[in-house]
Amino acid sequence: MRRIALSGLLAATLASLPLAALAQDVTIDTAQGPVTLPAAPQSVAVYDMAALDTLTAMGVQPTGTIDNILVAPLRAAAADAAPVGTLFEPDLEALAGLAPDLVIVAGRSAPQLAAVSQVAPAIDMSLGTDLVAEARARIEGYGTLFDRQDRAAQMTAELDTKLAALRAAAEGRGTAMIVLTNGPKMSAYGKGSRFGWIFEASGLTEAVEGLDQSNHGQAISHEFIAEADPDWLLVVDRGAAIGADGAGATETLRSALVEGTTAWQQDQVILLDPAATYISAGGFGSLTATLDQLTAALTDGAQG
Amino acid sequence: MRLRPALSSALLALMLASLTVGAAQVDLRAVFRDPQAMLVLLESRLPRTLAVALTGAALSVAGVLIQALVRNRFVGPDTSGTAEGAALGLLAITILWPSSPLWLRMIAASLSAMVTTALFLAVIRRLPVREVMLVPIAGLVLSGVLGSVVTFVGWQTDLMQYVGTWLMSGEFSGVISGRYELLWIAALAAGLAWFSADRFAILGLGDQVATGLGLSTAAVMRLGLAVVSVVTAMVVTTVGMIPFVGLVVPNLVARVMGDNLRASLPVVGLAGAVLVLACDLLGRLVIRPYEIPAGVILGVLGAVLFLWLLHRRPAHG
Repeated sequence: MRRIALSGLLAATLASLPLAALAQDVTIDTAQGPVTLPAAPQSVAVYDMAALDTLTAMGVQPTGTIDNILVAPLRAAAADAAPVGTLFEPDLEALAGLAPDLVIVAGRSAPQLAAVSQVAPAIDMSLGTDLVAEARARIEGYGTLFDRQDRAAQMTAELDTKLAALRAAAEGRGTAMIVLTNGPKMSAYGKGSRFGWIFEASGLTEAVEGLDQSNHGQAISHEFIAEADPDWLLVVDRGAAIGADGAGATETLRSALVEGTTAWQQDQVILLDPAATYISAGGFGSLTATLDQLTAALTDGAQG
Repeated sequence: MRLRPALSSALLALMLASLTVGAAQVDLRAVFRDPQAMLVLLESRLPRTLAVALTGAALSVAGVLIQALVRNRFVGPDTSGTAEGAALGLLAITILWPSSPLWLRMIAASLSAMVTTALFLAVIRRLPVREVMLVPIAGLVLSGVLGSVVTFVGWQTDLMQYVGTWLMSGEFSGVISGRYELLWIAALAAGLAWFSADRFAILGLGDQVATGLGLSTAAVMRLGLAVVSVVTAMVVTTVGMIPFVGLVVPNLVARVMGDNLRASLPVVGLAGAVLVLACDLLGRLVIRPYEIPAGVILGVLGAVLFLWLLHRRPAHG
């Protein structure tokens, strides 16, 4: 009897050894301020496409994520993850069944922080409008959390290279306007908006300054684009981002008025990848892909 | 009636103002010398002005018709399930056949608007005649139910933002030459109603009176239904639903002119055009060079007008 108890104690001690080694706490920055967590969580459920993007780039495979992933490159990366609801409605039962060590919410799923916290430890890794700086902070945070500082440093360096390339390509390339199309309607985005980081990162000047900083842009007309006459038109197709069909962004823009602008005349209309700029914006893969696309387009002056 | 010339000149003045107001700075007096000014005028200003006027006129006339069909003053195309029906048709065709041409989408929207409006008529026929307020309430309930179906399907298929462009905004910022012409069909349909104005006036007296006067109520009903549905479907697909126009304008005009539809229908059309044009102009001016949707401004103004209508004593007995 005593032997069994002793060996049991021994087994328990042995089993807890690796745990003790792992259970070192680290402190990382989140959207809600610094949070202290046990390092290197083994099982992670991710409710944000940008976080999923950065994590898979880092080599961390999530054990759970949302059902319907609209960003094609991420779909394959998360193929082995268990479905745990949607961005707006986490399936708490599925999440509890998965029992992850950590849940990551951000952006669209950020309001669900309290709900998912009931099931497992959760952090809010939302990105602000200073997208590049925030993305960099997140890479660093994930690197610390998952004990992959080397890979994180590598990713940050890659980001820096690509940012420098874009800045060089955009040097002296004139003014730009960011337009989001949604079916037949258009809105424009300025510095400080969700797409404003493009101006900061590239150094392109705004064709129209003082645009509203809200998330949804300002409703504009074809006349407005013609009057602003930007050298570059950066277009995000909201419909395509969410998988809607119908008239594409080019069809929405095409009119005698827009066709008269410098951007259209010189074939300097860049159709940004809607999924990368809208749904998983700020994720490592999306960010570098967008930077590459912009750099290539600005260098050739051709359709992106 | 002195209302007609007054409204006509107001409309003319507003249309001229609408031609000169926009995001682009061009001198329209130089239109024949400056090709850019001509381009702006023909591509943007004129189409937009016409689109707004046509929408206002057609929606108001549709409002008169649906009020005659249900013999109740407190309904409009936006509170009888018609707009939601049109959106449902659009949604269905978008999902089933994403690459469908525009004309097919229009037909789908019109048909589906017709079905839901017919459903509304069938529902209110079963209501007690004395309870005047039940009719608009039934309309609101039906709109709500259909709207939630649209929302559910849109949500499930990730088309919510797309649905929003039809049902929630009602703005003309996307209107340029080549993208509003369907509104002429709406105006044509509304114009068609004018030829049968007397019949609609008689229909408004009630089934028994109308039949006694030798009117085929079913045929007139069908015509009214078709006009209301086509007008609503065209407006919803081109610029999105505009609230309150079809409800408020017919009431205001009837307060002054009574129910002689042959005389009042043109006035209703004019008044609707003036109201929507004024709202769109305001939307273009307040945060120039950006825009506030005309539908938003009408939502506020229309609500105030509607409350005023409810609280004033009736003009005729």
